[in-house]
Amino acid sequence: MNSNFSCKTCASADQILETFISNLSVDTSHHRMEGQSVKCGFGLQGICCRLCSNGPCRITPDGPKGVCGATADTMVARNFLRAVSAGSGCYIHIIENTALMLKKTAASKGVLKGKLALAKLAEIFEINETEEHVCAEKIADMVLADLYKPDYIKMELVEKMAYKPRFDRWKELGILPGGAKSEVFAGVVKTSTNLNSDPVDMYLNCLKLGISTGLYGLTLTNLLNDVMLGEPSIRLAPVGLRVIDTDYINIMITGHQHSIFSYLQDRLIQDDVVEKAKAVGAKGFKLVGCTCVGQDLQLRGEHYKEVFNGHAGNNFTSEAILATGAIDAVLSEFNCTLPGIEPICDELKIKQICLDDVSKKANAEMKPFVFEEKESQSNEIIDAVIESYQARRGVVALNMDADHGNDDTLTGVSEGSLKSFLGGTWKPLIDLIVKGEIKGIAGVVGCSSLTAGGHDVLTVNLVKELIAKDILVLSAGCSSGGLENVGLMSPSAAALAGPKLRAVCESLGIPPVLNFGPCLAIGRLELVATELAEAIGVDLPQLPLVLSAPQWLEEQALADGAFGLALGLPLHLGLPPFVTGSPVAIQVFTQDMLNLTGGQLIIDDNAKSAAETLDAIIEKKRKELNI
Amino acid sequence: MKRIIIDREKCDGCLNCNIACISAHEAGSNFYTVNLQSPAAETRNFIKFDAHKGYLPIFCRHCDEPECVLSCMSGALEKDPLTGHVQYDESKCAACYMCVMNCPYGVLKPDKQTRTKVIKCDFCDDKPDGPSCVKACPKKAIAVKEVSL
Amino acid sequence: MKIVIIGVSAAGISAAKAIKASEPDTEVVIISKEDSVHSRCMLHKFLGHERDAKGINFIADDFFASKGITWLSNTTVISLDTQKKTVKTHDNQDISYDKLLIATGAAYFIPPIPGLRESKNVYGFRDLKDAQLLDSECDTAKNAVVIGAGLVGMDAAVAMLTRGLKVTVIEMTAAVMSLQLDQKSAQTYQQLFEEQGAKFILNDKVVSVDVDEVGRGKTIHLASGKAVPADVIVIAAGVRPAFNFTEGSGIATNHAILVGDDLKTNIDDIYAAGDVTGMAGIWPNAMKQGRIAAINMLGEKLLYEDRFALKNTVNFYGLTTLSLGNINPEPEESCEILMREDRHNYQKVVIKNGVVQGVIIQGNIAGTGFWQYLIKNKIDISGKNKDVFSLGYADFYDLDQVTGDYRYAV
Repeated sequence: MNSNFSCKTCASADQILETFISNLSVDTSHHRMEGQSVKCGFGLQGICCRLCSNGPCRITPDGPKGVCGATADTMVARNFLRAVSAGSGCYIHIIENTALMLKKTAASKGVLKGKLALAKLAEIFEINETEEHVCAEKIADMVLADLYKPDYIKMELVEKMAYKPRFDRWKELGILPGGAKSEVFAGVVKTSTNLNSDPVDMYLNCLKLGISTGLYGLTLTNLLNDVMLGEPSIRLAPVGLRVIDTDYINIMITGHQHSIFSYLQDRLIQDDVVEKAKAVGAKGFKLVGCTCVGQDLQLRGEHYKEVFNGHAGNNFTSEAILATGAIDAVLSEFNCTLPGIEPICDELKIKQICLDDVSKKANAEMKPFVFEEKESQSNEIIDAVIESYQARRGVVALNMDADHGNDDTLTGVSEGSLKSFLGGTWKPLIDLIVKGEIKGIAGVVGCSSLTAGGHDVLTVNLVKELIAKDILVLSAGCSSGGLENVGLMSPSAAALAGPKLRAVCESLGIPPVLNFGPCLAIGRLELVATELAEAIGVDLPQLPLVLSAPQWLEEQALADGAFGLALGLPLHLGLPPFVTGSPVAIQVFTQDMLNLTGGQLIIDDNAKSAAETLDAIIEKKRKELNI
Repeated sequence: MKRIIIDREKCDGCLNCNIACISAHEAGSNFYTVNLQSPAAETRNFIKFDAHKGYLPIFCRHCDEPECVLSCMSGALEKDPLTGHVQYDESKCAACYMCVMNCPYGVLKPDKQTRTKVIKCDFCDDKPDGPSCVKACPKKAIAVKEVSL
Repeated sequence: MKIVIIGVSAAGISAAKAIKASEPDTEVVIISKEDSVHSRCMLHKFLGHERDAKGINFIADDFFASKGITWLSNTTVISLDTQKKTVKTHDNQDISYDKLLIATGAAYFIPPIPGLRESKNVYGFRDLKDAQLLDSECDTAKNAVVIGAGLVGMDAAVAMLTRGLKVTVIEMTAAVMSLQLDQKSAQTYQQLFEEQGAKFILNDKVVSVDVDEVGRGKTIHLASGKAVPADVIVIAAGVRPAFNFTEGSGIATNHAILVGDDLKTNIDDIYAAGDVTGMAGIWPNAMKQGRIAAINMLGEKLLYEDRFALKNTVNFYGLTTLSLGNINPEPEESCEILMREDRHNYQKVVIKNGVVQGVIIQGNIAGTGFWQYLIKNKIDISGKNKDVFSLGYADFYDLDQVTGDYRYAV
């Protein structure tokens, strides 16, 4: 017997990672899959309800309704809307903090690195203000004002941000959102005991939450971050466990709020801080990317090369990253910060500091970010991390894997940088699509999960099938973390694409899978889609564009999915989101949605058949566009 | 003999039967209080899952010709002549685990905590209402029926 | 009908049970040289003072009385007359039979090593008598030497370690329990024993024993030249079927009593079951043989088919191991060997042409009973598209909806 924690770990599309994890002596999410492998059928179908003390009720042949009279359709809809509300809340929390950060940065005349982003937002928001700080503050105020509106007052920026045909359709459907925070509140209230029992009303409500999530939580968060932190720029970057350099004091970051790190990331490379590191035997500090905030740092990495070595992996790679023993501290400000890292950090003496209590770990030091105290807070964090480094390095064994990942992942792709790359216009891309050199575009986005075949298994397999059909893949989220670590976002991956797409990629020197960064960047994909649609003169459902969140994980993903459906796109999921117990849900999502928004839910956990379905949809849309 | 008859199409994997079994063997517990995190919490029935076949309930059959009884070297496992159920006397058992080795359906197991006894279904013969698992199934996928062997 | 059974261990008792369950009116006389019924698999519990003699009895106290079986204890059979159909006992009784079951088991063998057979303090570990003699020795002995690190030797060792003796185990092969385990799984047990103070000398043989003035073996000499002091010596070097009372009876033997598939000897009305047949010295198999012989003696025809004998469980110091089939295949056998281990488990599966040949599961053996079925029925698992280590009965699940019987879907 050896010291491995357990023989039974789940599969991963990332073979090197799978081997690494199977040999670990610590327990990880990959180990825990086995023990949780038999799932309760009631839960899977969404037909279990725990809203009141007459329950928990389950829909069974002997009990076709809950005690209150709720049918399966009601239960499923309530559970789903509640999940979408929570997911929306998560994203709205992010945009709220981001907007507050922008406001304070602007008010204190801080550096605003993204001039282009600022100008663009000013144009969209119709702000006529030349002084950049005043302009930025106005932008922030407008966002906050919308977020804080009550639910009976519609948010004003929706009309400015959304593509007009979409806005008009949403208005017709009566799903324009009121204040984003209030909408979350409303969703939670509506789904409580013996309140709303109209499934269709609840699903329309989900679409409404999808719109506020998408435009504010996703799109605007990116743009506001761009203003503060600089626009993304395309570059080749190293990814995977290999980015961790043991010569440095390494801080792993988890979350979605890049702006929280804006001061710290600059502070860490200042001379006096570097000297502190050298005094204890390290060359300096490095931030190690993990989860969406890591993707954000990677996206804007051109500006942060000194403090950021690279993105090591996605959410379900976080435990492995820590298990290398080379991480000295974890700074968490949002998800995914797995509870599972707590015992690992304890055992490996890794300091945990939580910057936003939404992601507090039981054994983390709580240090909620306060803008006005960012200097002293950063110094305290730095000192705490140095203490951790001293206490643990040399004492805790290292377990590195220099083979994992690669050195040439293309990153920094955004609606702006991609357009620049194409010469400042979308025409080259549109031409390629019209000619059929690129058959269509698939946004393969969202989370990483350990089901659907294993860690990133369905995601990777689906992407391989899609690119083989000459479909260009744009990715955003933890799925990107998985795709890049297995090399699909390296230019060499063009070899796996179909002949036409391969030719395009090789001539441009790009991979067939483009990394837009964090899941927030699903909002960037929406901007790209909107600009393409505008250029062609159609509405979004007419584009040869499909969306897939193959290994969606959490409630935020469901809110993202609601946005995708609201945009009228075909949305593929690998596994059903706990709705199959309701015939109405199936009907609404897979059929009626086409007439409502033009969107459609497709559920298929087989990469091959899912790709064929999506391919067929793209072909159909091409035909309808006469191309 | 009374046996638990399984209609596996009805099983939905909720694992209520597991909870009921554990609770039946944790004296004085009920569904609210049964400690599912205790290392002593062991279910005698199992629900497995196969992607093609669905949920597969595995319950002790109290076989007509029980391999476990036929392999027991201590007299701890005996088929009760009245009920037909295979009962286990922990005080006699020497934890040799030949019974574990011989059950063709993999029903028996050593206790997790100490490996000094065997965990096996006792048909809740000490309970007036019969097997706790049967009562707990929300889908009525399991039922007690008289079978002639 | 009158059935006489010689032997009160697994086969004999199992036969008596089966006879009385089927035809309770049959007269059954059972003869034993011992005065108590005991399970030899639990002798170490007796020697280690975990249980007393009654505690290692595997039948109810009133077994014979309640079933109406006549038990002649402390009685040794010395010969039998197949013409007259009688057995003769040491106290000159002639007991007649209509059918006879010989279930006299096996006796431990002391190899003809100079000094070994002569020493008065050399004991086997086969019967309660052996354990009782060892028990008294353990009261005063300091150094114990066990010759043979098979299952029996290790049982004796664990008991004597519990009694506080310094135990040295000498083994000819390179590992303990080398018939049941592979190197890796054997080493784990060796370590556990060593942690309790045992010493192992592997790859070595006893070449002679120095006998002292009072006839006790005091020093064991090994082929390597080592010398080991001994106050008490346990010989666990194998057993031979015990049937010398059949000499001259005409019953066909060849180092064991020969039987057909129905467990009948060459003489009609005489059957044999258990270790005395030389087939598979495993308790569950002896029980099955006893039962089948009994059913055949009552006039039915049942063949002994489930003979799979390469099966063992080991449980020392809380570490449980299941070992089945061919676990140490030769390279020429071209078997696929799959292994997996973590801090609590070591698992090895040997496969050839899609059929599992052998399995070692050390650590958690919960629910592993299905492996024996796969191996002995030569089930082809190559169609199962999953990790072999995650196989279970569920992968062969088949259910009779009416009776609730499980079957194997193959």
